[in-house]
Amino acid sequence: MRIEISYKFIIGFIVVVVSGILVNLVVPYIEGIEPEFRQVFSILCSLVVGLIIGSVFSRAFAGNIRRLTSAGDRIRRGDLSEDVKVDGNRFPDETSDLAKAMNQFQASLRSLVGDIRSIAFRVAGSSQNLSGTSQEMSASAQEVAKTTDQMSKGAETQAEMVEESTRLFKEVAISIKLVASSAKTVADSADLTLETARSGNDMAGSSLDSIRQVLSEAESSGQQMVNFIAQLQKISKFVEVINGIAQKTNLLALNATIEAARAGEYGHGFAVVAEEIRKLADSTTTSADEITSLVELICKEGEQVQSSMAQVIDEMESGREAADRTNQAFSEITRNAEGTRSKASSIAELAEQQTSSAEQITRAIDEIDRVVSDNAAATEQVSAATQEQSAAMEEMAQSAKELSNMSESMLQIVKQFKLVKDQD
Amino acid sequence: MSLILTYSLGDDLYGLEIDAIQEITENPVLHYVPRAEGVLIGSINFHGQILAVIDLPTLLGFAGDQRDHRHLVLTSEHRSLVLTTSGVERIVNLEMELLQPPPEEHDRPAVRGVIDFDETTINLLDTDEVIKQLEVIFVE
Repeated sequence: MRIEISYKFIIGFIVVVVSGILVNLVVPYIEGIEPEFRQVFSILCSLVVGLIIGSVFSRAFAGNIRRLTSAGDRIRRGDLSEDVKVDGNRFPDETSDLAKAMNQFQASLRSLVGDIRSIAFRVAGSSQNLSGTSQEMSASAQEVAKTTDQMSKGAETQAEMVEESTRLFKEVAISIKLVASSAKTVADSADLTLETARSGNDMAGSSLDSIRQVLSEAESSGQQMVNFIAQLQKISKFVEVINGIAQKTNLLALNATIEAARAGEYGHGFAVVAEEIRKLADSTTTSADEITSLVELICKEGEQVQSSMAQVIDEMESGREAADRTNQAFSEITRNAEGTRSKASSIAELAEQQTSSAEQITRAIDEIDRVVSDNAAATEQVSAATQEQSAAMEEMAQSAKELSNMSESMLQIVKQFKLVKDQD
Repeated sequence: MSLILTYSLGDDLYGLEIDAIQEITENPVLHYVPRAEGVLIGSINFHGQILAVIDLPTLLGFAGDQRDHRHLVLTSEHRSLVLTTSGVERIVNLEMELLQPPPEEHDRPAVRGVIDFDETTINLLDTDEVIKQLEVIFVE
């Protein structure tokens, strides 16, 4: 039953008055009390009642006020764990209302603080995550910056290498041109060789013909020499016959001399004739011997001539073979020179093709060079951008850290509010 | 003056008076003589006479195989022997007064005397010595 404080005061007053009246009424009936003290007694009783009621009432009121005050103080300290409780549940009054209102306020404050706290928790977690992520991102960005730096350096190296390649390939192109001109020179030389070899071949052929002619002439000369020697041998046969006749004559002269000697003085003239015949026979023999030795000499020389002729023929034969070989060699040279010429021509052709290909390659390499240079520049830009990004990331990480710190301090602040009563 | 037929025996020059020579015969047909040996190299038919052929160089001990195809047929005073030589030379006219006996150191066999002619020495053959040597051989 709700009784307002003012009514409570009034009720108390009424109780005191009623008690004074009742005591006044009762006192005459109470023995032992002097009538002169009856008034005093009733006043005293009324005072006592009034004091009791007043003390009870004021004590209850003051206690409630104190509780409220202490609750307010507790709330001020942030302790929202306990509800405000006041006595006088039987007769609630304004303090109960106040307590109720304070409880409601505390409840709403509690839910607010709880919300703030949970949000702060989430913010702290998120900001920590953010911080971590931003640190990771920063690290990644640094990594990226490093990589792009390397890329930039690589691109520079690439550009240098491409330049080197260009230089080398230009040298190669020059070499190819040299090869082409050399191949042309070789082809010209091969043409010249071919010409020379052909004329050499012709000359060898004509010399071969001459050798053949000489050879046939030498052979016929050899045949003539053989015939000549045969004729000489016939002469020596005749000389033998003459020799035989001379020897016979000599013998006859000897015998004639012997016969003449036997005839004595008469045979003297005959002996002289015989001596003359003998001399003739002797000179015939001498001449025949001279002829024989002459014929032998001629025969010997003829044989020498014959053997020389045979040697000449042999040499001619070997000369003919040599000329044949020369001819073949010239033919071989001609064939080789033709092969060389065609090969040199094809080399020159190929080299020219290579030259055009090399020019195309040079152009392509130039293009590559340009692209690589662009790449290098772009990479440098990327590197710079990445570095900027990295710096921004670091700033962001810093900010996230700050945010984290801030959420941490907010949590610290919110933690000052005590929402639940401690277990202990 | 005397006519001498000169001939060689080995390397030496010999001579023989042409009075002792009947004829110089050339390449006579040489007949085989049974039981003949050494110096008797056969026999020939000379104008119907059968004459023995004596190899004079072998008989007198001269070296060399050279034989002239002309043989000397001696007169009957010299047993009509046929002699071979190393080579018949010629007939020369010599002064027989210049004939000298063979010198002491002269070791040529059957030499009757020596005579100088044309810067050479001709040994005159001693036919009796030849016949004596043949008798020695054939009697034994």
